[in-house]
Amino acid sequence: MKRTVITLVIIGAALLVVSLLGPYYVLTEGEQAVVVQFGRIVRIETNAGLKYKVPFIETVVRYSKRVQSWDGDAQRIPTSENQFIWVDTTARWKIIDAKKFYESVGSMGQAQGRLDDVIDSEVRKIISKNPLREAVRDSNVISEIKRTNSLLSVAGSAESSQGLSNITTLAQISYESISTGRRALSLQMREEAEVIMPQYGIELIDVLVRQIKYSDDLTQSVYDRMIKERNQIAQAFRSDGEGEKAKWLGQTTRELKQIQSDAERKAKEIKAKADAEALGIRNKAYNQDPEFADYWMALEEYKTILPKFNKTLTTDSDFYKYLYNKRGR
Amino acid sequence: MVDVTPRKGNRKLTPALLWIAVGVVVALILLFSSFFVVDQKEEAVVLNFGKFARMVGPGLHFKIPFGVEKNYNVPTQRVLKEEFGFRTIEAGINSTFSNQDFSAESIMLTGDLNIIDVEWIIQYQITDARAWLFNVDNREKTIRDISQSVINMLVGDRTIFDVIGAERANIEVQGQQLMNDLYKSYGLGIRVTTVKLQNIVPPKGAVQDAFEDVNKAIQDRSRMINEGKESYNQSIPRASGEADQTIQEAQGYATERVNQARGDVSRFLAVMGEYHQSPDVVRTRLYYEMYDTVFGSADGTDLVDKNLKNFLPLKSMGGAAASPRPSVAPASTAPASTAPASTAPASTAPAAQGAAQ
Repeated sequence: MKRTVITLVIIGAALLVVSLLGPYYVLTEGEQAVVVQFGRIVRIETNAGLKYKVPFIETVVRYSKRVQSWDGDAQRIPTSENQFIWVDTTARWKIIDAKKFYESVGSMGQAQGRLDDVIDSEVRKIISKNPLREAVRDSNVISEIKRTNSLLSVAGSAESSQGLSNITTLAQISYESISTGRRALSLQMREEAEVIMPQYGIELIDVLVRQIKYSDDLTQSVYDRMIKERNQIAQAFRSDGEGEKAKWLGQTTRELKQIQSDAERKAKEIKAKADAEALGIRNKAYNQDPEFADYWMALEEYKTILPKFNKTLTTDSDFYKYLYNKRGR
Repeated sequence: MVDVTPRKGNRKLTPALLWIAVGVVVALILLFSSFFVVDQKEEAVVLNFGKFARMVGPGLHFKIPFGVEKNYNVPTQRVLKEEFGFRTIEAGINSTFSNQDFSAESIMLTGDLNIIDVEWIIQYQITDARAWLFNVDNREKTIRDISQSVINMLVGDRTIFDVIGAERANIEVQGQQLMNDLYKSYGLGIRVTTVKLQNIVPPKGAVQDAFEDVNKAIQDRSRMINEGKESYNQSIPRASGEADQTIQEAQGYATERVNQARGDVSRFLAVMGEYHQSPDVVRTRLYYEMYDTVFGSADGTDLVDKNLKNFLPLKSMGGAAASPRPSVAPASTAPASTAPASTAPASTAPAAQGAAQ
C-alpha cells in the first residue's frame, strides 16, 4: 500500500517537473522560436511541433511567424505644392529571420518602433516630393470616365437650354494626368524602407496609404470652395428657370398679340370686302336711275334717322299742303 | 483514506483498489477531454503538439487528450461583416446605429480634390480555416486596414459626382477585386463576397446644405418653367378662341351687309319698275310712307305753323315743362304772343330741331 502511494506521488512529481521546466515544449503553428543557451543562439525552430530543449540551460524565445500589421500615426506632411495633408499609412511585415530579429530588434514592441522610424520618414519623403494629385489618385481613370452630365439629365434633357451650358462644361473639366499614382508611391515607400529591413530580419510586405485628409485649415477652405461651386450651379439652375419662364411669358405675349392682331386684320378685310360688295350691288342698281335713286335713298335715310330725333315740325312741309287748304297750297 | 463503513471483508484499501480509483479518474478525464463537437457552420483544425494534424468537418470527433491535440473551431460557413463609417449596435427590423462619429474612417478625398463621406460594408467568408488561424496576426485590423486603403484609393481616383453617382457600382466591383487580391497575398484565408457602398454624402453641415440646395434649385427651375407654361396655357388657347370669334363676327357682318344690300337693291328695283310706269304717284306715295314711318309712331312731336313766327323762342323758354302727349299748336287760334306760352306745353326737348324740309 505504502509503496503504491509513493509510486503515484513520484509519477505526479515527475509529470510536474517535466511540465514546468521540462525538456519539452510545444511550438504552435504560426510560431517560431530562438533557442538560447547562456545568451548564445544555439538554434532556430521554425516548424511547429513538440520540441526538445535542455532544461535550465537553454531558454526559448518565441516569435510570431505570421503577418503583422503596422499602423503609424497619421502625419501632417506638405506636398510638393506645399499643401498640408494628413497621411495615414499602414504596413504589413513579418519576421523572416528570427536570428537577426533576436539580435537586432528583440521584441515585437521594439519592432513597431523601428518600423515607425523607417516608414514614417519614407512616407514623408515620398509625399513631399510629389504633388497632391499623385498621392490622391492612382490612375488617370478620372479622365476616362464617360460622364453624362448627371445634373442636366436630372433637369430633363429635353428642356436643357443655353443657360445650363456652363454647367455642362463644369462636368467636362479635364483633369491633369498623373504619372505615378498612389499605388506606385506606396511601392516606392516600401522599396525605400525595405532596404533597411534585412538587418532586422524583417520582410516588409507592403506599405499602403490608408487615408489622406486635408489639414484642418485646408479642409475649411476646401469646404468653402465646394460650397461656392454648388452655389454657382444652383444659381445657374435658378436663373435658367427664370430665363425659361421669361421666355414663356414673352412667347405668350407675342403669340397673344399675333393672334389678336391677325384676327382683327382678317375681320377688317372681311368687312371691307363685304362693304365693297354691298356698295357694288347698290351702285349697279342705283345707276339705272340716279335721280330716282337719290330720292329713294333720301327717303330711306329719313326713315331710319328721323325717328330718333325730337321733332318740332312746321307746317311748311309738302305733307301739310292740304292742312289749311283742301285744294292744296 | 478514512473508512467509516462497517468493515466487511475488503475493508482495507488495497493497492489494487487505489490503482482502480486512479484508473477511473484518468478514464473520466480522458472521456471528457478527448471528444469535441464541430458545429454545422464550422470547420475545426486539429493541432498535434502545436503542429497541424488534420481538418475535420461538422460532427463529434476524437482527439488525443491531455493537450496533445487541440482543436480550433472556425466558422467557415458564416458570412462575416465589417462596417466602415458607422456601426450597427443592434440589427433587426429597425436597426439601431451607434451615434458615435466614425467620420475619421469615412472622410476621404476625391480625385477632383473634394471631400466626401463614404460609408461602406464588406462581407467575407473564411475559406481556409488553417490559413485564417495561423497566417496573420491582428486579422480584423488587417481586414479593416486593407478595406479602408482600397476604398480610399478608388474614391481618390474619381470625381465626387462619380462616387456619388455612376461609378458606385464600379467601385464596389473593383474594391472587391483589389481587396481579395491583397488578402490572398497575405494568405489570410478569406474571400470577400460583397463590398457595398452605403451612404455617400458630402461632409455634413454647410457643404451638404449647398449640395441639397442644388437639388432644390433644379426643382425651382422646373417650377418656374411650369409657371411660364401655365401662363402661356392660360392665355393662348383663350386668345385663339377669341380670335376665332372676331373673325366669325366679321363674317357675320359681311354676310349681313351683302344681304342687306341685295335686299335693298331688289326692293329698289321693284319700286323703280313701278316708278317708271307712273312716276308722280309713286313719288308721292313713297313720300307719304316716309312721313308715316317717321312720325307715325312717334310721340311728342311739336307741329308749328309756318306763320307762327314767335313760337320757337317761347318754347325754348318753357322747354323744361314736359308734356307726355303730342300737342299741336293750332294756327287758327294763334293770338300770337300770349296764348301758347302757357297753354301749349313745350316739347320733350328744349332744343327742338325742325325736321321738315
